[in-house]
Amino acid sequence: MKTYSAKPADIVRDWVVIDAAGQPVGRLAVEVAKILRGKHKPIFTPHMDTGDHVIIINAERAIYTGNNKAEEPIYRHTLYPGGIRQIPRGELLTSRPDYAILRTVKGMLPHNSLGAKMLKKLRVYRGSTHPHEAQIKGAQAARAAAAAAGKATE
Amino acid sequence: MPRVKRGVMTHKRHKNIIKQASGYFGGKKNLFKTANEAVARSGNYAYRDRRNKKRDFRRLWITRISAACRNGGTTYSAFIAALGAANISLDRKVLSDMAISDPNGFTALLQQVGLSPTTA
Repeated sequence: MKTYSAKPADIVRDWVVIDAAGQPVGRLAVEVAKILRGKHKPIFTPHMDTGDHVIIINAERAIYTGNNKAEEPIYRHTLYPGGIRQIPRGELLTSRPDYAILRTVKGMLPHNSLGAKMLKKLRVYRGSTHPHEAQIKGAQAARAAAAAAGKATE
Repeated sequence: MPRVKRGVMTHKRHKNIIKQASGYFGGKKNLFKTANEAVARSGNYAYRDRRNKKRDFRRLWITRISAACRNGGTTYSAFIAALGAANISLDRKVLSDMAISDPNGFTALLQQVGLSPTTA
């Protein structure tokens, strides 16, 4: 018997909406990264992207708990000499909450081209609305159609 | 006794190594010395990884069983403990295949070992 390996045709992508309100950023990102990677599905295959799409809403209401996580600096470089810039995590979360969450999830995905592909399935929004209702409905319809087709063939 | 020139055997040996290194990156496919090292190393990796393959697959099966268990409202650890208690000796390879090709059977198994799944 050969171990199953997911084929592109076998992968059914769902859309998951997650409310970040009151959630600690890191704990939220762990769950999101798992869903993006597909580790919650029995068909998980390491070299394939078996994950679902994730939409995070209310990004600006995510929080840092504890004493000093919010003070921890984040670095970037302008590529000019002496161009290193740093801002604390807490400030980044206040000024650009969507980017702060995206960045945290990115760090928890594989650091390769497959990981980059998985990250594309993540959309982070401020506020409680998102423009992907049509995609969610489409995925539900596709699932219903697949279920109906499955019954027909049985 | 006829004269033996060494170039013939050397060329034969080199040709064999270069052939084995075909498809390698950069100089490794053209230069004998580099190709020779690369071929030797590839053999070492192949030998090692035939052993590691067994561990890699066991890890993959466990990941898949874990996902299926969590969908059924339990955890991998509790599931394996319950299987042991119920004296069921299905291995992880079979269990992971069941979780994919026969989800209903997997749910039935969860019920049989006393881990009630949330929704069928």
